[in-house]
Parts: sequence; structure tokens; C-alpha cells
Amino acid sequence: MNLNTDMAVNRITDDIWEIPLSEKPGMLVPARIYATREILQAMDSGVFDQVTNVACLPGIRRYALCMPDGHWGYGFPIGGVAAFDVQDGVISPGGVGYDINCGMRLIRTDLTLADVQPYLETLLTELFRKVPAGVGASGFLRLSGEEFAQVMTHGARWCVERGYGWHRDLVRMEEGGCIEGADPSIVTDHAIQRGINQLGTLGSGNHYLEVQVVSNERIFDPVTAAALGITGHEQIVVMVHCGSRGFGHQVASDYLKVFEKAMRRNGITVKDQQLACAPFRSPEGQEYFSAMNCAANTAFANRQVITHQIREAFATVFGQSAEALGMELVYDVAHNIAKVERYAEGELVVHRKGATRAFGPGSPELPETFRQTGQPVICGGSMETGSYLLVGTDQAVRDTFGSTMHGSGRTMSRAQAKRTVRGEQLQQQMKQRGILVKAVSMSGLAEEAGLAYKNISEVVESVDRAGITKKVAELRPIGNIKG
Amino acid sequence: MADTAFEAQGESVEEVFRGATQALLESMANPVTVSGGWERAIERTDVDPSTLLFDWLSEVVYWKDAAGVVFREAPLTLTREGDVWLLRAGLIGAPVDQQTQELHADVKGVTKHRYELKQTGGSWKVIVVLDV
Repeated sequence: MNLNTDMAVNRITDDIWEIPLSEKPGMLVPARIYATREILQAMDSGVFDQVTNVACLPGIRRYALCMPDGHWGYGFPIGGVAAFDVQDGVISPGGVGYDINCGMRLIRTDLTLADVQPYLETLLTELFRKVPAGVGASGFLRLSGEEFAQVMTHGARWCVERGYGWHRDLVRMEEGGCIEGADPSIVTDHAIQRGINQLGTLGSGNHYLEVQVVSNERIFDPVTAAALGITGHEQIVVMVHCGSRGFGHQVASDYLKVFEKAMRRNGITVKDQQLACAPFRSPEGQEYFSAMNCAANTAFANRQVITHQIREAFATVFGQSAEALGMELVYDVAHNIAKVERYAEGELVVHRKGATRAFGPGSPELPETFRQTGQPVICGGSMETGSYLLVGTDQAVRDTFGSTMHGSGRTMSRAQAKRTVRGEQLQQQMKQRGILVKAVSMSGLAEEAGLAYKNISEVVESVDRAGITKKVAELRPIGNIKG
Repeated sequence: MADTAFEAQGESVEEVFRGATQALLESMANPVTVSGGWERAIERTDVDPSTLLFDWLSEVVYWKDAAGVVFREAPLTLTREGDVWLLRAGLIGAPVDQQTQELHADVKGVTKHRYELKQTGGSWKVIVVLDV
């Protein structure tokens, strides 16, 4: 098999591949990659190198994992999952990423394509106006330091209590949109100043807000889909992809620096500076975990304020309240986070970086709403090709620390994408195919062209076949807003 | 792969600082399209010029979000007194304006991936990877 690595990569099943301990000095556990043979062959060399670097970190349990959307990241590969014992293991900002609690949110509607098509341009203009995007964008909320501290500790709950959302939204979010253990007192003033004015903003890069359509023929599990509010018949849904903005980025930057010093003191050596880590139980480890939870809650709040703005935009354009339009939240899920969860090995700090929690129906952590279906998993594809709604499985809990893929994964660098296609040209081509795009940066738009990404359908098929998530529906884009 | 990287070279460390700073400013917006009006004077010291450059670039990213600005220029001087390197820099820019400025990427952070300021032969070089 022709791979971008010299390491031995052994077949476990058609969708699971293992790099044994013998392939790199210092590996404490084998590395496992979830992928079809074709996806594995296309993976960049960074994935193999990085997932085996992760396998060397102290206290890692069972496997260092990479999902089929995996590609090179900082320290951990994007698509990486690793679990460390809370007693003798580490926590690493590189295993979470700069954009703490970057995640996906899906909102359903009762509207159909026929309802929306005549007003699509108007709707996108209104959404573009209400949800600021791009470099340095600030939101409509002006918070005091005290209020921002409450956002850090209460997350989406803070928003709902102030009228930016509905109480029933909260049950349809990972952790109810609020993770406990967030301590604002250990967050730097720099982080606060970077984020305090950014609630309700998208950012740039691969972040987006997308209006999508669900057709009957692209619903794979009608019973589960119906239970999640997805009815098909050219139904309109809205997807949001963004995270904790400048606040989370600064928390990550601050603690990478702290951890460099902590590693020297704790005698920890790593294969890559971006794998800087500290024992989970150390003062630095606990402080980062708490600061990371502040950023995670801010990200939940960010997506909640954006949801409020989306609902207002739809209400303005269609002349009905968001409730009358059936704009219920389907789910909100993180894909850059570290969390303490219980598995067969005991309590573990599970790092998911570009990977999504995927708890099955049997998971006691899930609210009653999802005990029949399993936890919804939202996977964003490129803006040209479409996205997927899936559900977690009990097998994922057994095999992958309750984790699965998060998106399609890049195959082309941003620079290469910009050399291949121009933003204005791409915008025109997409319009001809029925997808309207509003973007702050045309170069940023080119970077996100569909040709820069793996085929999401192939990626989804591989996790479906591996049994760690089950596909529910495919979501086709018709309108996209980008930073 | 999902990010922006640049290499800055120069005959002195100061030239590398200037080149890296210019590349960072251009990653966020086309400086020619940014007017002035917002200014900050910044002084930083460190015994390690590599750390000093990393912290300076990170500070530029910080001001982008904290002040909601993009930048036209960042004149700087770098001097050495004994073991200590002293950076004196100015940041000149304007509040973000989507109508008049050509905006690029919203940089999240300066990373340590492949980051190294080193002297090879008679010149200095640094590789910087930005998370965007």
C-alpha cells in the first residue's frame, strides 16, 4: 500500500488501521487511524508523525486515535483523539487547539426551499448584517467585565436568561451549553480584552453560517431524523460553525507558554513544541483546564447569540416569529475540547481536536431527549459540497472514547487553494450552481473552495461502516456567509 | 495545512523583525487600504531575540482583536544592550472597515510550529506559521 509514511501501518478492519509501538521510540500505546484504504493513502505525512507523537505522551491510555477527516495540525493532528488518566496523565492545549470549543450548531425550520428561494438574497443580506464576520469584527453586545465573567461561567445559560434564546435550547447542547469548573479569576486580562466585544461573531477561516436544504432522498434514517426535527421535503435548516473567537485563542496562547515552563519543571519532554503539556493534577494543568472551560462556555454563548440573531433575521424576512417558523435547535456540539469522562480504564481526560463527541443511546450522560436516538453529531463539509447530521453510538463509547469525525478535512493548503481558484470566480461558479455566498474576504473564500477538501461523503461512509456514528441525513448548501 | 506560513530573511535580526512584522500585517489586511488614526507605542525586552519576536508578533495579533483594528504599518527598531535585546515599535492602523479595507485572515495566534529564528552564514531567517 502506498502511504505518505515509512511506518508500518497494519490493517485491523477495512476502516481501522494500526501503527504498532515498534514504529517510534517512546510510544506508550499504538496509534489507530479510522479511514478507508483510499482515505488513508491520501493522508498527509503529518498525520502519521503527529498521531505517533501523541502516543508518546505521559499517561495516555489504549490508543492515540485519528479520525478519517484527519490532517496535519499543531502538535495533535486535526481529527485527533487521545485520553489520559486523570492521576498520572497530562493535559495539552495542543490537543484542544487554538479555537477552544470550536463547534457546530444546527437549527431546523418549518420552511421549505420553495418558501425561501424567492427571498434567499434578502435573507443572506439580513444574516450578513446581523451576524458580523471577518477580521476584528465585534458583536452588538457591550459587556462589562463582570458580565463577561458570567458568560465564562454560565455559557449559553447566560444568553438564555437574558432573552437571547429559549430555555428548551439548552437541553440540545453538549453539556447543556455550560461546563462546570470554569474560573474566570485565572484568565488573563489579555484574553478578556481580546474577546469581550466578540460575542455573536463568526470569525473567518473555515467558519461559516450556512442555509441548507434536506431532501427526502438524502435522509438515511427517517425515524431518527424525525425524532431530531428533520422532516425532509426540501426542508430548510441553518448550520453554524465557529468557536470562542479571540478569547479562546488567547487562552490557548497564554497556556502554551505556561506549559513550556511547566514541562521543564516536571521533567516532561515531547516530540514537538506544540505538544506542550502538564500533568492534569498539577497547578498548571488544573488552571488550564479551568481557563479552557471558560473559553468553552464563551463559545457556547457565542453560538447562542448567533442563533438569536439568525432567528431575528428569519423573522424579519418572513414576517413571522422564529417560534412560528419552527426554528428549534437540533443540537450544538464541540469539536475542539478536553473533558473528563469515565470509561473502562477509569476517569480520563479525553482530548478531541477536530473530533466530535459521539455518545450512543445507552450513555447515561445524555438527556432524556436523546436516549432513543443517541447524541446528534454535526459534520460540516466544504461550502460547495454539503454537510451531514449523524448520531453517536454505544460502539463509539467502547472503541473511540465516544468520539468520531468533525468535518471533511483539508487536502490542500490555503495557499495552494488560492493559487488554484480566485474568490470572485468561485462565487460566480457557486451562484450558477444555486449556492449564494456572501464573504468579507475574497481570498478567504478561495481558501475554502470545495477542491481544498476531502469528499465528505466518503469520510462519513467510513465512520458509518466502522460503527462509531450512524448517518441520519445529508444537508445541501444554498446560501453561505463567510468571514 | 489549514494555515498561513511565511519566511522572513535579512542581514540583521532587525531586518527579520521588519520582514516578519510586514508579513503578519499583510496576512490580516492589505496595509495600503488601511488609513491611520489608531496608534500604539510598544517597548519590549528579552535576552532571547527569538522569544522577543514571537511575543511581539503575538502582541500585534492581540491588538487586532482588543482594539478591533487592522494595520497600515509598524515601524520598529531593535537594539542590543549587553545581553538584552530592546524592541521599540509603533503600531499604526485603523478600526476594521469592510467597505474601504481589503481584509484577509482573522489570525488566531502565532504558533511554535517550525518556529525558529536562526543565523545561517551572514544572514538571519525565521519561519512563522500562523493559525488562521
